[in-house]
Amino acid sequence: MAATTHTAKAMDARAAGQRLVNQWLANVHSAPERGQPVAYVFVMGNAVEILRVFGFELVFPEINSLQTGVRKAAPDFLAKAEDYGFSPDVCSYVKADVGLMLSDMAHPSGTRIPRPDLAIASSLCNVYIKWAEIWERHFGAPAFVLDIPGKRFATWKPIPGTAQYDADKRWVEGQLRDLISQCERITGKKFDPDRLAEVEANVNEMVRLWVEILTLNQRRPAPYNSMLDGLTYIGVLNAWRGTPEGVEYMRLLRDEVAGKVARGEGRVRQERFRLIFSGTPCYVNMRRLVELFETHGGVFAASDYLTYAAGGLDSSGLFYDPSRPLESLAEVTTLASQLGLSNHFFSHHTLAQQVKDYAADGIVYHGIKSCRTVATSMADNREYVTTRYGLPTLYIESDLIDPRYWSDAQIKNRVDAFFEVLEQRALLKGGK
Amino acid sequence: MLYVAGVDVGSTQAKAVVLDEQAHVAGEAILDVEMNMSSAAQQVFDLVVASAGLTPDDIAFTVATGYGRYRVTFGDLQVTEISCHARGAVAEFPNTRTVLDIGGQDTKAIRIGDSGEVVDFAMNDKCAAGTGRFLGAASFALELPLSELGPLALKATAPVKITTTCTVFAESEIIGHLAKGRRPEDVLAGMHHSIATRCASLVRRVGLTPEITFTGGVSRNAAMVSLLRDVLDTPLNVSAQGHFMGAIGAALYALDHARAGTPGTRRASVEEVAP
Repeated sequence: MAATTHTAKAMDARAAGQRLVNQWLANVHSAPERGQPVAYVFVMGNAVEILRVFGFELVFPEINSLQTGVRKAAPDFLAKAEDYGFSPDVCSYVKADVGLMLSDMAHPSGTRIPRPDLAIASSLCNVYIKWAEIWERHFGAPAFVLDIPGKRFATWKPIPGTAQYDADKRWVEGQLRDLISQCERITGKKFDPDRLAEVEANVNEMVRLWVEILTLNQRRPAPYNSMLDGLTYIGVLNAWRGTPEGVEYMRLLRDEVAGKVARGEGRVRQERFRLIFSGTPCYVNMRRLVELFETHGGVFAASDYLTYAAGGLDSSGLFYDPSRPLESLAEVTTLASQLGLSNHFFSHHTLAQQVKDYAADGIVYHGIKSCRTVATSMADNREYVTTRYGLPTLYIESDLIDPRYWSDAQIKNRVDAFFEVLEQRALLKGGK
Repeated sequence: MLYVAGVDVGSTQAKAVVLDEQAHVAGEAILDVEMNMSSAAQQVFDLVVASAGLTPDDIAFTVATGYGRYRVTFGDLQVTEISCHARGAVAEFPNTRTVLDIGGQDTKAIRIGDSGEVVDFAMNDKCAAGTGRFLGAASFALELPLSELGPLALKATAPVKITTTCTVFAESEIIGHLAKGRRPEDVLAGMHHSIATRCASLVRRVGLTPEITFTGGVSRNAAMVSLLRDVLDTPLNVSAQGHFMGAIGAALYALDHARAGTPGTRRASVEEVAP
C-alpha cells in the first residue's frame, strides 16, 4: 500500500507542476483579451518582483525557445531565422524566438504569445541586450536594460558596508526606480511598496524551500535527477516566482522529495556514481543524455544550472528584507549577480564545494555551440578540479536546442569511456 | 590452449587480433568498412580466426571496440576504444603516460595514470580536421594511395601552409596550391603539419606527460610521426602494431575475462544501435 501512496504523492507534485505550466501558458495566451499588460523577461536579472506589483503577465522568451527544443519543433523555427539571414553561429534561443516572430507568434505549445508592453534585459548576458533590441524593433515595445555590476576580479568580494558595495547598490536601486516610473506610465497604476513586500515574502519562502530541495539531493541515493526532474522544477519556479501558487508548489515538491529521501527511494534504481552537471542543458536531447548516464547508474545529483537559471534563487544566503522592499531588491539583485551569476571564471571554488557536499564522483561539462561565453571557463574549471582533486571529468558538446549539433554516436562514446574511467578508478580505490 | 579476440570496428576499417594465453598475437586481420559494420565485423573475425589457424569455437572471449562495437553481434563485451588504445599502448610501452590515437574520423589524447588506468581524455569535437579523414581528402585530391602520402611528404623542401581546418575545404585548398604550381610533396607536408598542430593541441589539453605513445592507423605514416615529434618536441613511442592497438587492448580485456571466468555482458544487437 505504501507504494501506491507514494505513486499518488509523486503524481501530485508532477501534476501540480504541469497544471501550473498549463495555467501560465493559458494566462499568457489570454492576457490581451483581459487587457493585462505583458512583459518579456529573461530568467536572470529580471526584476520580476516589480512586474508582479504592477500585474504584468510574464513571458520568458528563453523558455519559449527551449520549449521548441523539448517539443522537437526547433528546426522549423531555427530555419526561419536562418532563412531570414541570421548566421548559424547566432544563439539558437535567439533564432528560435526570431522564428517565432516570423511565425506570427504561434508557439508549438498552442499558445499565441502576445506582444510585449515592456521588455526587460540585463547586462548579465551580452546577447540579452541585442535580443531585447530585436523586440524593440519588431514589436515597437520599450526595452529596459538593467545594468547590474558584475564581479571585478578573482579575489574580489562584494562586502556590505563598503563604499563600492553601496555605490553598486545605489546604482541598481536608481535603475529600479526608473523601471517603476516606466511601469507606472505603462499600466497607469501607482507603485505599491506593500505589494512588493508581499511578493518578496513569497520569493523568500520559495528560496528557502528551493535550497532545502537542492540540499535533499545530497542524500544517497539522490531522490531526483538535477538535469531532468530539476529542469521541470525550475521551469515552474521561474514562471510562478513570488506568487502564492509558486510557494504552494515548492512546498508540495519539498514534501515529495523529502518523502523519497525518508523511504530511501533514488531516481536511479542502482545508484553507482554521483555526478555534477556543469553548463547549460541540451533541451533537444536532454532525456537521451540523461538516459546515457543513468544506464550506467550515474545520476546528476547537482548542477550549477539549477542555481543560475533559477532566477537568482541560488543565493541561499540572500533573502529579501520586506520591511525595506526596494532597497532590499537592489541589494539582492546586485549580490546575486556578483556572487552567483557573473563569476563563471571563478566558479571553481563553488563547484569544488558542491563536489564535497554532494559526494560527487565526477563532473560533466556541457559546452554549447550557442554560447561560447558560457563554455569559456570550462577548460580552466576542468583543469582545476582534475589537478587539485584528481576528480574525473568529461567534456561533451552540443547545443541548447539545435539538433544539428547533437552527434549521438560521438556523445555515447564519450559517456561510455567516462564510465570506464569511473569504474577503473573505483576498482583501484577498492570500492563500488 | 586459451584464445581470445579483440575486434575494433572503426569508421573506416575493421581490425581484429587473436591472442593466446600468454598474450602473444596469434593472428591479425584488417579490412575496409563499407556499408555494413556488422558484416565487416563478422568478416574480419572470420579472417583473424583463420589466420590463427583456429575456428570461432576456439575463441573463449571476444571484446568489441570502436564506433561499431555495438554492431559486433558476437562480442561478449563492449569497451570503448579510449580504454582499449590505452590498454594496448601500456602493454607494449609500460611507461606510457599519454596516448595519442589518430583514427579515421576521431583523434584522441588520453592521459594514463601510474597504474595504467585512463585518467582523462580529450577528443576532436564536431569536426574531422586533425584526423585521418584529412589525409583521405589529400589522397583523393592528389590521386595517391594513403600509404604513399607520408613518404612523399618527407621529400618536401618548401612546405605550404594549409590554412583551412575544414576537411572538405582542404581538398579545394590542395587543388588551389597545385594550380599555383606548388609541388605535391610540399602541399602534402603542409597537410601533415596542419594535422600535427591540431593533434598537439589535443595532447596539451590532457597534459603532455612523457612517455607518449602514438597509436592508430595514422601512426604508420612516417611523415606524421616525424612532424609530431617536432611539434611536441618530445620522443614518441610508435609500435609496429600501432594500427592494431585498439584491437590488442580489446583482446587484453578479453583475456582478463577469460582468465577470471567472468561472463560478458553482451549488449550488442543490430537493434541496439544509437538513434
